[in-house]
Amino acid sequence: MARVRLSGLHKHYGALHAVRGIDLDIPEGEFTVIVGPSGCGKSTLLRTVAGLEEADEGAIEIDGEVVNDLAPRDRNIAMVFQNYALYPYMTVFENIAFGLRARKFPKPEINKRVQEAAELLDITEQLVRYPRQLSGGQRQRVAIGRAIVRDARLFLFDEPLSNLDAQLREEMRAEIKRLHQDLGKTMIYVTHDQVEAMTLADRIVLLRDGLIEQQGAPLDLFERPETRFVAGFLGSPTMNFVPATLEASDGGLAVRFAEGTTLPLPPTRAQAVRSRAGSAVTLGVRAEHMSRANDAGTREGLAPLNVTIDLVQPTGSRTYATFNLADTAVSAELQAHDVRGPGEKMALLVDMNRIVLLDPETDRVL
Amino acid sequence: MSVAVASGGGFGRWADRRFKYLLILPAVLILLLVGVFPFINILIVSFQDISLIFEDRSFHGLLNYKRLFTEARLWQAILHTVIFTLVALPLELVFGLLMALLFLEPIRGRQVFLALLIIPTVISPIVAGATWRLMFDNQFGPINQILGWAAGEPVPIIWIVQKGFVWPAILIAEIWQWTPFMFLLLLAALSNVDKSQVEAAQIDGASNLRIFFRIVLPAIKPVLAIVLLIRALDLFRLFDVVWALTQGGPGTRTETLSTYAYVQGFQQFETSYTSAIAFVVVVLLSIVVVLALRRVEIAR
Ligand SMILES: Nc1ncnc2c1ncn2[C@@H]1O[C@H](COP(=O)(O)OP(=O)(O)O)[C@@H](O)[C@H]1O
Ligand SMILES: [Mg+2]
Repeated sequence: MARVRLSGLHKHYGALHAVRGIDLDIPEGEFTVIVGPSGCGKSTLLRTVAGLEEADEGAIEIDGEVVNDLAPRDRNIAMVFQNYALYPYMTVFENIAFGLRARKFPKPEINKRVQEAAELLDITEQLVRYPRQLSGGQRQRVAIGRAIVRDARLFLFDEPLSNLDAQLREEMRAEIKRLHQDLGKTMIYVTHDQVEAMTLADRIVLLRDGLIEQQGAPLDLFERPETRFVAGFLGSPTMNFVPATLEASDGGLAVRFAEGTTLPLPPTRAQAVRSRAGSAVTLGVRAEHMSRANDAGTREGLAPLNVTIDLVQPTGSRTYATFNLADTAVSAELQAHDVRGPGEKMALLVDMNRIVLLDPETDRVL
Repeated sequence: MSVAVASGGGFGRWADRRFKYLLILPAVLILLLVGVFPFINILIVSFQDISLIFEDRSFHGLLNYKRLFTEARLWQAILHTVIFTLVALPLELVFGLLMALLFLEPIRGRQVFLALLIIPTVISPIVAGATWRLMFDNQFGPINQILGWAAGEPVPIIWIVQKGFVWPAILIAEIWQWTPFMFLLLLAALSNVDKSQVEAAQIDGASNLRIFFRIVLPAIKPVLAIVLLIRALDLFRLFDVVWALTQGGPGTRTETLSTYAYVQGFQQFETSYTSAIAFVVVVLLSIVVVLALRRVEIAR
């Protein structure tokens, strides 16, 4: 088990500044997911921790020891690669045993450990086979087996599931989470998939252009994003962003759209943005925080909004209905039978407790 | 269906199906002409008795083949050839491999070095041999010159004559010319080794040596086998460099199978005897090649 601390980490590839000053503290036993769009520097960051890339600036500490100058083999870590990186000329057994042999474990110990790892991952049958004879999911398990057999103090995963089909991906995701619960090791997991990040992480670190945009517990980030980027990156479908102005009304505040529609803010939300009255804002609202108005009446904080549906996308349990608001296509998640078809006029309720208001200049949450 | 009708039924359809054979026919004919016909001719001549002095085209049975076993000079030439091969091949391999490993790292001026390194291999071997003859010249050659500077007194080594120096001279020229070939092919093979496998092995705690022998070497094995085979065959036919430097001399001290056969065939005009040599060599090498190729295929 290990505690990891990165401070002031920079990495350049020639003129490209891939990692631009990362400070990160990862407590012992935590499952940290580094997530962000493709090319934001996730792999580079992880590879720097592994020692496969050299940091240009800053320190990498594992258990209080600065490891910048240690070779990967001396850092006592394990890593699972996106393409699995299995050794093609060795059997599965030899693949898993490779690290133990390299570290001069005694033979009986090697046998015992490989068997245990194989049982844990349900690949005992495959031990005598070669990687090319395995399915994608089995290869993935071998790659994980190779990592866990060695008792490394820190586990690194670089998009380990992105080569699997959707169903297998869900299975393996659950297995990796269980593995973390069983082993209790510190794990750093890189992915571009926000669902993977949300489901696996104790803590999400959202990376953007080589910098940490925001970090915290998954629900924390989801419910209290600090920037438009975070709000838009987490959650599916993507949060709707609509230009609007904030105006005073009836002693409170309301969000007013170009066509004149207004949504009143509940007093608790209004408090924080009172100084912004009269200025332009961006309203951020998730599809699932809108619903069809019904006779049951309204709760505190639900604001009515009359819309004309112009696109309907059923998914089975839910239906996404798209409408136009302030020249922006906005998508609401409704019950399956709430909407009949395009052209339908209906009243929606917007949960004003769950919206975010952003400064359109800085794209920061107000 | 409509295609067949459009092309006129009968002959058109036949031509369509046979077209691929028609296309390779010229190549096959040429191959037969330059490959199989001379081979058969050699076989026939080797059973006759043709030489400079007289031409007897009657069947003489194994006459020439018997001579193969009694000619000490032939066996000496074969021994020389084997020694050249056994010394030059591993050295070319090791140098080529080391250079290729060096060039895997991104180094400044890589392209320039690459271009320079390839020059020896693109030069015609006989020109390379002649160049080395100048290099080794005992009076004007740069090699004695440089050794002289190092020693502080004139160095009078007559490279292409003196015992103990002719062999190294030939080996140096040969290795100089063909190491780049090894280097290039091995560099290509090494660049194709999956980098993440090497990285995984590093993280697994393997030493560089273990990574090389367990991960890299198995990955380049097929290319390695082919390169070794090509070079072994080349070395077994070693001629140009030897001819340019020593013509097999002094005496027969550096005579190889090829220079020996050349002398027998084109200087002594022992046509039938030389044909017998050629035939045996072709058969032996063919067996070696077939066995080697089969092994490579199994290794995959
Ligand atoms: N070896 C490399 N040489 C040059 N540029 C690289 C190299 N590796 C990554 N990059 C660049 O650095 C940036 C970050 O890459 P990476 O860390 O792989 O992103 P991610 O894993 O988040 O998709 C990208 O712009 C990528 O093109
Ligand atoms: Mg990546």
